[in-house]
Amino acid sequence: MISERLKAVILRELDLDDFEIRNETTADTIPGWDSLRHAQIIGAVESEFGIRFSTLEVLRLKNIGELQALIDRQK
Amino acid sequence: MEAAQPVAARLREAGVRAGEVCALIIRHDPRFYPVYLAVSSLGAIPAVLAYPNKRLHPDRFRAGLEGMARVSGLDWVLTERDLQDTLAPLLRREGSTIRDILFPFEETEQTKAFAEIPSRSAAPTDACLLQHSSGTTGLQKAVVLSQRAVLEHTRRYGEVLQLTSDDKVASWLPLYHDMGLIAAFYLPLVSGVPLVQLDPFEWVSAPMLLLDAISKERATLCWLPNFAYNLMADRARDEDLTGIDLKGLRMLINCSEPVRAESHDRFARRFASYGLKPEALTACYAMAEATFAVTQTPPGRAARVAHISRDFIAVARAEPIEAHLNARACVSSGRPIPGCEVRVLGEDGDPRPDGNIGEIAIRSVSLFDGYRNQPEKTAEVMRDGWYLTGDYGFVDNGEVFVVGRKKDIIVVAGKNLYPEDIEDAVGQVPGVAAGRIVAFSIEDDRSGTEQVCVVAETGVEDDAGKKRVRRAVIEAAMGIDITVARVYLAPLRWLIKSSAGKPSRRANRDRALAELDCGARRAQ
Repeated sequence: MISERLKAVILRELDLDDFEIRNETTADTIPGWDSLRHAQIIGAVESEFGIRFSTLEVLRLKNIGELQALIDRQK
Repeated sequence: MEAAQPVAARLREAGVRAGEVCALIIRHDPRFYPVYLAVSSLGAIPAVLAYPNKRLHPDRFRAGLEGMARVSGLDWVLTERDLQDTLAPLLRREGSTIRDILFPFEETEQTKAFAEIPSRSAAPTDACLLQHSSGTTGLQKAVVLSQRAVLEHTRRYGEVLQLTSDDKVASWLPLYHDMGLIAAFYLPLVSGVPLVQLDPFEWVSAPMLLLDAISKERATLCWLPNFAYNLMADRARDEDLTGIDLKGLRMLINCSEPVRAESHDRFARRFASYGLKPEALTACYAMAEATFAVTQTPPGRAARVAHISRDFIAVARAEPIEAHLNARACVSSGRPIPGCEVRVLGEDGDPRPDGNIGEIAIRSVSLFDGYRNQPEKTAEVMRDGWYLTGDYGFVDNGEVFVVGRKKDIIVVAGKNLYPEDIEDAVGQVPGVAAGRIVAFSIEDDRSGTEQVCVVAETGVEDDAGKKRVRRAVIEAAMGIDITVARVYLAPLRWLIKSSAGKPSRRANRDRALAELDCGARRAQ
């Protein structure tokens, strides 16, 4: 389940009014989330939640559900 | 070469012969290199193409490949099993030049015990490789480079860089791009310089991987497009940089998109305390048509910056002015490398004296042999043995400065995009007036590269409807793997037409930026 807080960060960074984001949603299906924006969005998520991901953790992410799980583990 | 032998045997068994074109569509993998060398050793012509990312619609990917097949006559596709279903329809098409799809990573029982393939020498004029330009709608061109062009270039460029046995290249560059293929594959291969190659997708997700590789592997050389300097400077956190040592880095070479002085400054400031030498920040002007580098700033000296008036286009003269006035900082791309000559041409096609801005033309021992099977497109860019680059620039004290572009091409993160492709994709969106779209780029200082903008005429007037159209425009571009940063919606009959009756990209760009709202809630 994707939290409203995570969804809000993603929508804000991509300048989207709304977009349905579920556990299985992958970055390439979200308008504007391309490889160039990836590092920026991950950085914004880290700032929002006051956490830090390691390089390996970032590289292993397959979908938004895994990003949410990573946040939940670190909080 | 030893690892290439069994692959070559398998390819020959499959029917691959000298002179045939082999498209290589393979992800980052150490096994790619023996496959490439196997193709070369048979005298076939390798053409590295981008592996499609998930965003690119399979129909679009196939259409692009079919376009390339028509242009360059692809004979074979060498790829991974994952693409089999996507590519299979290509073989069934009537008139397809593609004879088969091969999976070179897969061994067969017969080829485990193969007879050695006798070594084969190539003639200097034989085609060495094909470099395909991007584009999806009949815009592709395949640059043909001869064996001589590639060898002459790597030798001469290696001398300019003063390569020694102590050098090592670190790279994340994709090999379907001339910068990756020549600077981070052929140059190390021919010069005997070790190469550390990262996965481009992993690097862009975790940019610090490159600094880690440079530091741990003691790499001395690295080529990067301009956006990479911003990305690494902005994303580096102190805790990621523990133990990073960039003292050994001799040259970072900025290439493939406009070099921005601000990006160099930002990078130098961020990494100075990690041993980065300011003189390591060099630049190069390169293009596939010249094999790769045309100019290079010398080792041991930071690329020079000249300040010229922003009104340069109006006066077509690069008058040096004080940095604090209405100045634009231009970074030198250095002097022509041996075997290359550069001229700056005026509107009349005649050479202009130093300090004047005009179109850059080049002549080189490593110039391409033309666009394969497209003599008319080759003729458009060649004049009396000089290649017309379509870039604007000037020469000052023997150094070339590139300041703009004559053609409408968009360069995002080192990748060339054609406005026509974006306009075609957006033209399919319901609510957008057919043929009433222009795509252009704007500079984005934050990312150090360009952003794609689209202006589209629509009859939709309500806010909710406009929101839907904007979103659909962005999604249509996603289908061809292009991110549109801004969508400007204009009322019908708003776009300015050129004398040819088509919407003018330049005029509409200026008007849209001045008059229209792109619907973004904050500045990009």
